[in-house]
Amino acid sequence: MTAQEARLCGLLLREHFGEVVEKIGTHLLRSGAQNLRTIVNESGTPIDLVKKSLCVLMKHGACRFSIGRKGPGSPVEYQASCERILGILRYPRYIYTAKTLYSDTGELIIEELLQRGHMTMSSIVKMVADRLTHNMEEGRSIEYNEVVSTFSKLVETHFLQRCPPVSEVVPPVSTAPTVPGAPAAPVSTGPPTPESFSDCYLVPSVSLAGRGKRRRSGEDAVLDQGTTKKAKTDLQTHGDEGIYWQVNFERFHLHFRDQTIISAVASKLDQTSSEIVRTMLRMSEVTTTPSASCTQALSANEVFRSLPANYSISRPVLDQYLTLLVDDPMEFVGKTGDSGGGMYVVNLHKALTNLARATLESVVQEKFGSRSARIFRLLLRKRHLEQKQVEDFAMIPAKEAKDMLYTLMSENLVLLQELPKTPDHAPSRTFYLYTVNQLATARMLLQHCYKTVANLIDRRLFQTKESKRLLEKSQRIEAIMASLQASGAEPEQLTEVEEMISTPEKQQLESLRHHINKLDSAENQVDETIFLLKSYVASTARITR
Amino acid sequence: MADAKVKKECDPADAAVIESRIKELCIQFPQGITDQVIQNDMPQLEPTQRAMVINKLLSVGQLDLLRNSSGLLYRMKDAQSASKMKGSDNQEKLVYQIIEDAGNKGIWTRDMRFKSNLPLTEVNKILKNLESKKLIKAVKSVAASKKKVYMLYNVQPDRSVTGGAWYSDQDFESEFVEVLNQQCFKFLQSKAEVARDSKQSPMIQRNSSFATSHEVWKYICELGISKVDLSMEDIETILNTLIYDGKVEMTIIAAKEGTVGSVDGQMKLFRGVNPIIQPTGLVKTPCGLCPVFDECHEGGEISPSRCIYMTEWLNF
Repeated sequence: MTAQEARLCGLLLREHFGEVVEKIGTHLLRSGAQNLRTIVNESGTPIDLVKKSLCVLMKHGACRFSIGRKGPGSPVEYQASCERILGILRYPRYIYTAKTLYSDTGELIIEELLQRGHMTMSSIVKMVADRLTHNMEEGRSIEYNEVVSTFSKLVETHFLQRCPPVSEVVPPVSTAPTVPGAPAAPVSTGPPTPESFSDCYLVPSVSLAGRGKRRRSGEDAVLDQGTTKKAKTDLQTHGDEGIYWQVNFERFHLHFRDQTIISAVASKLDQTSSEIVRTMLRMSEVTTTPSASCTQALSANEVFRSLPANYSISRPVLDQYLTLLVDDPMEFVGKTGDSGGGMYVVNLHKALTNLARATLESVVQEKFGSRSARIFRLLLRKRHLEQKQVEDFAMIPAKEAKDMLYTLMSENLVLLQELPKTPDHAPSRTFYLYTVNQLATARMLLQHCYKTVANLIDRRLFQTKESKRLLEKSQRIEAIMASLQASGAEPEQLTEVEEMISTPEKQQLESLRHHINKLDSAENQVDETIFLLKSYVASTARITR
Repeated sequence: MADAKVKKECDPADAAVIESRIKELCIQFPQGITDQVIQNDMPQLEPTQRAMVINKLLSVGQLDLLRNSSGLLYRMKDAQSASKMKGSDNQEKLVYQIIEDAGNKGIWTRDMRFKSNLPLTEVNKILKNLESKKLIKAVKSVAASKKKVYMLYNVQPDRSVTGGAWYSDQDFESEFVEVLNQQCFKFLQSKAEVARDSKQSPMIQRNSSFATSHEVWKYICELGISKVDLSMEDIETILNTLIYDGKVEMTIIAAKEGTVGSVDGQMKLFRGVNPIIQPTGLVKTPCGLCPVFDECHEGGEISPSRCIYMTEWLNF
């Protein structure tokens, strides 16, 4: 965990959970696993605040507890997970994916779960139904069953999973907060993965009947309190107590990876090839482990049968497309055998490597120009080259080539490898070769991305702080307007209230909103780069292990 | 007395006869004659006499003195070069010979000094002399711009000295290379587009979007944008730069010997391609392109809150 990651985690925690949680979270990230007393002493916060923050972090999966290192009798230790906290950056992408796959219902389910961390199925269903009904026209409401069916679909495709039941690690007397729903189970040595439980994707049979309730605006305040109180002391049991659900981030990441590969194939070759690759990936969704370097082998016959109905291409044409995919220098698809009309695999690791390489090249191109990009690609292809050879291959005059190489070296994108001819390493008798190390450069760019996102968040907070006074004024005006409208005031009163904001202030507000949106969308774009580079680094680490 | 008599016998008439005899021998053996041959032919000739005659012929410039593994060789010098050297002295002749030996690569002044063992001033004077007589010329080397190599006037400088087709007067022609680059790319791109629009089976589409290096070479020649004649290897170096630009990919196929454009039974095929990803998210933010990225931190002189690049970008 690097300094940039820690800074970014701190900013994200502060935005989503507040300053107390940020303090405890960053403290845990920096100091590793610690028990409760140490946290209280070192961070200087009162013990009840520490307990609450740990609860919040655990509910969202950002912190986990385990037996103390000194043995079974020592106090429980807590450890924060940097990756999980950085995943907060990707929430908008998860919600958007759910919307494209399962429309509004799915979007709301995922949104609620992401906000609350762990929830039972019945509470999710009720909440989502209420929200959907609120957005529909008067007189219509949504059945609980529809939400339940979308929920089941999400579970079937493994986008949602049950939270793993936690073993009874500590005696009830200790001060450790208990994770809700902890049936007695054998003590496990490491943190159990959700998938090690066989019921992970089993939808419980709940008795949920009813429709979503619409909130009336007049009874808003009363009903709000009512519903929140109800959530806490829900006397109506539905038969799934103690079964909590969480979002399966791994599955979403696999989905994102597949999307990137498909769009790369589409832009390199054509639409039909990308459809074939999409079919292949869809077929191997459940048979391939997430950490495999290539999918399971699929025969051409199976692919032909599973193609979507509107893509009616004949069998020989399909064979031709597959051959073209195999022959492509990018090596997205490989052929592993000839049985069943040809066995084909999607080379996931190679695809990720190529995509990461394209990312590096595009960064160099945008930052330094297309000629430097030419040199960079040349070095990636030919591995080690001398100064003279670089000039000759790239067809760039000597002076300019030297200048570009030195600039790239000063940014640590290009490295110098010395090959001495004599044991005394005399400079006049040594070969100096330029080279690019793809993995190290990818890691470095990943850190740059983290810093960039932290900068963007900083800037956004700064701009909001600058215009705080203006924002407060506009909020007050809106509140006054809303109350006036609800109580049925005359139009003159409304316009009078509206004019309390002057036009330049309105413009300022408008530009502020525009800036904040731009910064937000930029964060999402950088997150895409982060995802690609991180997948590549993780995949290479798995391969070389 | 006998000695004096012997000496008297070598009078000018004799010398002339011996000279002409040696010249005939030279013509008979164009690759050169040794002392041995002269001895066999004229056994009565004494070594001193022979040496005198040969020296005379050498000084007049009608004989060439060479050395090979078995001894000295004398060769007839052809009449043309004999006339050229009239009026030059031995040193100049030596220098000229060295330059001639250097062929089309030319020779540097320092090497000249080593080979001829002449002092620097002498060498310079002689070189200037020969240059004014238009017998040799100086060519600037492209590798080291201060170095001058000398070669015979009518000899074409070698590629390694001038740099080949891409250099004109020792200057790398960047614009020329750029223009060729773009033309080749346009040709390949239009070919790929035609293939894509033809809507035939994908295999045929891909194969028809390929162009051999020979085709590209012919196209460039017909365009006529180059003043210099370009060979197929030159075009291939240009196409390689397109590969390094990420715009073109190459495959090699086996071809029958004798088909047009095949080299050693192989043909290189080139094809225009699209990039596989759009410019990545990091470069869409000002931080991705910032020149002072490493010096930026919160609370410092350069910080995200006060970043002028961000302000510009937000107001865009």
